[in-house]
Amino acid sequence: MPIVSIEDVIKIYEGKVTHRALDRLSFDVEEGEFLAVMGPSGSGKTTLLNLISGIDMPTSGRVLIKGTDPATLRPDDLARFRRRELGFVFQDFNLLRMLTVEENIVLPLTLDRLPVEEMDARVKAITARLGLGGILHKRPDEISGGQEQRVAIARALVHRPSIVLADEPTGNLDSNAAREVLDLLGTINRENRTTFIMVTHDPIAASYCDRVLFIKDGAYYNEIHKDDRRRTFFQRILNMLSLLGGNVDDLSSVRLP
Amino acid sequence: MTFRQFAYRNVVRNRRIYAAFFLASVFSVMVFFLYSMLMFHPGIGEQFITGITLIGMTTADIILYVFMLFFLFYSMRAFMQARSGEFALLLQLGMERRQLGKLLLLEMLLLGATSTASGIVLGFTFSKYFFMIVRELLQLSALPLYVSWEPFLMTAGAFFSLFLLIGLLSAYIVANRDISEFKKGIGGEANPFGYSPGRAAAGILLLLSSYGAALLAGRVNVLYLSVLLPPAATLGTYYFFSHSVLYLLDLFRDRKSLYWKRSRLVSLAETAAKLRDNANMFFIVAIVSTVAFLSVGTLASLATYTAQYRALNPLGLVYESFPGNPHEYEHVTGLMKELQTAGLEYTHVPLTVAREESSFSGQPINILREGEVNRLAETLGAGPVNLRPGEAVFLPYSKEAAPRLKDADIRTELEESGVDVHVKGVVGGLLLPAYSLGTNSIVVSETDFVKVASVQPGNLLRIHAFDVPDWEETVGIGLAIEQAMVMSEIQQGEALPFYYKNPGLDYSIIRSTFHLLLLTGLLVAMVFLLAAGSFIYFKLYTMLDRDRRQAAVLKRLGMTEREFIKIVNRQLIPQFFLPWGIAMLHSTFAFISLQAIWKEFADISILNEMALVLVGFTVIQLLYFYLIRWRYLAHVKGPA
Ligand SMILES: Nc1ncnc2c1ncn2[C@@H]1O[C@H](COP(=O)(O)OP(=O)(O)OP(=O)(O)O)[C@@H](O)[C@H]1O
Ligand SMILES: [Mg+2]
Repeated sequence: MPIVSIEDVIKIYEGKVTHRALDRLSFDVEEGEFLAVMGPSGSGKTTLLNLISGIDMPTSGRVLIKGTDPATLRPDDLARFRRRELGFVFQDFNLLRMLTVEENIVLPLTLDRLPVEEMDARVKAITARLGLGGILHKRPDEISGGQEQRVAIARALVHRPSIVLADEPTGNLDSNAAREVLDLLGTINRENRTTFIMVTHDPIAASYCDRVLFIKDGAYYNEIHKDDRRRTFFQRILNMLSLLGGNVDDLSSVRLP
Repeated sequence: MTFRQFAYRNVVRNRRIYAAFFLASVFSVMVFFLYSMLMFHPGIGEQFITGITLIGMTTADIILYVFMLFFLFYSMRAFMQARSGEFALLLQLGMERRQLGKLLLLEMLLLGATSTASGIVLGFTFSKYFFMIVRELLQLSALPLYVSWEPFLMTAGAFFSLFLLIGLLSAYIVANRDISEFKKGIGGEANPFGYSPGRAAAGILLLLSSYGAALLAGRVNVLYLSVLLPPAATLGTYYFFSHSVLYLLDLFRDRKSLYWKRSRLVSLAETAAKLRDNANMFFIVAIVSTVAFLSVGTLASLATYTAQYRALNPLGLVYESFPGNPHEYEHVTGLMKELQTAGLEYTHVPLTVAREESSFSGQPINILREGEVNRLAETLGAGPVNLRPGEAVFLPYSKEAAPRLKDADIRTELEESGVDVHVKGVVGGLLLPAYSLGTNSIVVSETDFVKVASVQPGNLLRIHAFDVPDWEETVGIGLAIEQAMVMSEIQQGEALPFYYKNPGLDYSIIRSTFHLLLLTGLLVAMVFLLAAGSFIYFKLYTMLDRDRRQAAVLKRLGMTEREFIKIVNRQLIPQFFLPWGIAMLHSTFAFISLQAIWKEFADISILNEMALVLVGFTVIQLLYFYLIRWRYLAHVKGPA
């Protein structure tokens, strides 16, 4: 059984002009899968993540996560479901400005009343893996954008969710840092069988995934699966992007490490 | 698009941030205007603007003005903080600082003009009802609406100057900042836990020692206290808000088992950030509220003066006729007629008083007649005296004097008439107040009085005492006599051969004066509380974007609705109730010491009034808290 299934989802934003952000989108994600979602800006990727997490409800169609539709849960159950099963990395505004790095990371754990020793241990473990040990007591304003993003990732992973939703998690990182983070996500994906759904514009990041889903104007466009060699997978992603009409000229010259 | 159009559009576009600021300004303008209407009211002027009221109301006006200055200044700063991103962008796009300053000045003037105009219009609309309430409170027969230019001019002038001042100040601030400073945000979000431990400790120590000293008041030198306490408490309050609170929160933060628990992590940090951000404002609000509570409480306590006043003035009207007074008959019958016309019941008791030197003290002494005094005693419900020739009793001039005179036992000769009397004991109860006879009076038996009176028949004083059960209703009685007395005092002519006292009238003036002052104090205190609340709301509003995004993050992390409301409560409650609570504490201790000091002067208990005042303000504050929490939650959870 797929861990996430999107069934004929339509999302319409009512406003001065009604906008169809998602248009009859359907796909499944298997447990333990590392899925990348790509598409031009404004194609509905963030909207999709919002629907999966139950922040927004689809106008029609159904989202099933582990067999339950978040739309049918009572608000408190939905919140509890999120804090146990989901991890988030946002596109913008990730950290609470008045909390230290450590406090930001431990936040999801405090909501679930874990013993302090356990919380301490988990924070230590995850920050060690992400190389954040030295900045635990700094505040978000005092660290770099890349560090901030890594803190956000640490917070998304610290409570060992079964699904992690990430919106551009490597957007602010240089290629080395990005590679390290992606390697780490891959390791966690394999070791804990954590399912990842990662929105990205970066074909290199996408090439770390098991499958890449392309959407255009809110509708399913295409998908490609990983093959044995990263290089050809990467090339196929680039080809697909150029078909999609995204501006990928500047990327075609990128050499895969 | 001209520059002025740009300024106009800026206000209109930023209207939501401006709204709270605007409303608070409108409200203050309105109150200020209502005050001015009252101050310049011709009716009030005739009857009440005595020295005290005028000073009281003018002081209130000045305090209001200064407070508004602070309020507008802090609001303006918060407003600039909220828009610092916009400023940075404009500067980076090449706008000159001078232009930006001009923009801000124009905005402020636009805002000032509209809020002043709206406030005056609103105030004028409500002035009819306001006057109705005041009329009830002051028990005036009429307080009609009037139109005159003074209140309008005064309000418009006061607020225009305020907004101009604030506008210039904001223009100046903006012209002297770097772009990077704007990017960080003016006043930015400093470390929520930054404080100096020394000052934190000093704040707590200063407050505690001030409270301790206040408790000792009455035993310690009052002068020392009144010089040392207020500055110490003020400094203590300042350190308390800017350092001690953060220190206390930090103590909590070190205990992970307490701090890393549910929504506490967020709510504590948020509370610290907001408290730190608004420390100065909270300090001002706390101090100003303390002053307001104190003045309202003190004024309210003066209202308890009624009971005392009645005890000091047992008679309705007193008319004294000195020897050779040609008006006696005319005046007394006139008074009786007026009382009848007014439909007031009364008992008229004439008393004859002789004056002689006492051989015992060498002082003149008033001698009253047993039968007449007994009639007065009967009227006022006191026990009669029973004297044999040669016996006499003292007539006490005040309640406190009675027990002292009671044990006196004096033999004296009345020098002129040569009558020997043995003065022992007192007449039960206070019959004639001190002002009518002075402090040295005795009552002698009928036989002795006839002897005394026959010596100097042309030199007798007559007192016409009127007992009026409805003594508060005698305001209009004997105005002509009163006027004659006032005139003679003004002209400094020779002394009049009569003296008239109408305690009902005096009481109504005292009472109205107190009530007017009380009203003034209450209104000022209201403005403080509302302005403080508006400021909090305004601050929340300016931070709304950030708070909304934060709420979205928390929601995604799986925070339930209930936990979120808890966080909002926990950050709102200290903002509303910490300055207020400190003000309450301050005023409670101040009142304890005031009570002790009061006791020295008069036996007035101010406990009840103070409790009432504090409870009243608490209720208002609670209502305001719920109102603003409701609005804030709606905004934070609602769409952008
Ligand atoms: N709250 C909203 N109200 C109205 N329209 C919205 C809302 N959120 C998104 N949209 C619209 O829906 C479309 C999809 O937006 P979405 O944020 O999902 O894009 P995206 O794929 O994440 O883009 P990007 O890669 O730039 O982040 C956009 O055209 C956007 O304008
Ligand atoms: Mg997006």
